[in-house]
Amino acid sequence: MFELDATADMLLMSQPAKASTETPATETRIEVVLVKAVLEGDRNSFGRLYDLYAPMIHGILLARVPRSEVDDLVQDIFLHAFKKLHTLRDWAAFGPWIAMIARNRAMDFHRRSKETVEVTDDLRSTDTSTTKANEILELIRDLPEAYRETLVLRLVEGMTGPEIAERTGLTPASVRVNLHRGMKQLREKLGYTEAL
Amino acid sequence: MNEEYLWDKSGEPDPEIQHLEDILGGLRYQPKPLELPTDIQPHRRNRYLPLLAIAATLLIALLAGVVWLRLQTHAPAQKLEAVNEQPSVPSSSPSPEAVVPNKPEKVVQQSIQPRHRELVASNVRHRTQPAAAPSKEALLAKEQLMSALRIASEKLNLAQRKAQGPTPNQIRNQHKIG
Repeated sequence: MFELDATADMLLMSQPAKASTETPATETRIEVVLVKAVLEGDRNSFGRLYDLYAPMIHGILLARVPRSEVDDLVQDIFLHAFKKLHTLRDWAAFGPWIAMIARNRAMDFHRRSKETVEVTDDLRSTDTSTTKANEILELIRDLPEAYRETLVLRLVEGMTGPEIAERTGLTPASVRVNLHRGMKQLREKLGYTEAL
Repeated sequence: MNEEYLWDKSGEPDPEIQHLEDILGGLRYQPKPLELPTDIQPHRRNRYLPLLAIAATLLIALLAGVVWLRLQTHAPAQKLEAVNEQPSVPSSSPSPEAVVPNKPEKVVQQSIQPRHRELVASNVRHRTQPAAAPSKEALLAKEQLMSALRIASEKLNLAQRKAQGPTPNQIRNQHKIG
């Protein structure tokens, strides 16, 4: 079983990251230009950075904290990033930098709050589709951390694998493996729950 | 499972993945305007910071160089002074060439720069130069002077004796003779 997994991983990693080569270099330049503009006092440029990265931050938080807390935390994280932007050395690494801020903020949230909040909050909705979505989201949250973030970004936020790699700073091979393994485990969980 | 569709949504769509996308799509991020307080401004990047850092580095390097040079100039003098502190040959040694520490003393005096000479505590012993060998003429003159003084002294003693008169022994002897 482990040998098969390892072989599959090797095959996945050895495949050329076709889409990753399509990752536009212009986007990196846009980030650099935007960060530079913000540091020179242009607040509107930070609004453009927010538009670019808010979905990713939303996905990262959704994989970790209750849905009702996500929107406030997204605003909080971008406000924090705005204040601390001058500490960012590599302007092209804005995405991985703010992703790390989001992960740390999610950990802080769990240190301060109680797990009971999460359950009551997410099951408040009466809409059937939303309830189903919350149930699947709970299953994804039970997966290992590396898989759940990648799966949420792919299935909830609709980002492609190359986009996830580009925005989060992970290697395309890692994202590919995380997607493959995470999807496999989610299927097993969904089959288990559907059988019930 | 269609791996390519999972990776970059290319190829034939995977129905199971599409189903999950449809359900979970309801949780997707809904764009909201960013609310940045107007009183908060981004920290301006100091454009002169790299130049200041370079200048500070150069200054530190310069100071370090000066300190190093000072240590280098003081270190040899201290070594040679330490050599001088070795016990010297006793002064009873007759020939000055046989005294070994005399040579390092000369080296110390040469190595210490004039402006540092007064700052360095030297262990130099000031020796009186041995008197030069007197010439023959001087010796002759000295002998003549000494003999003249001796003669004068004898004559003065004789005159003193005559002035004091004959001693009792002399009278007694004269009396015997006579």
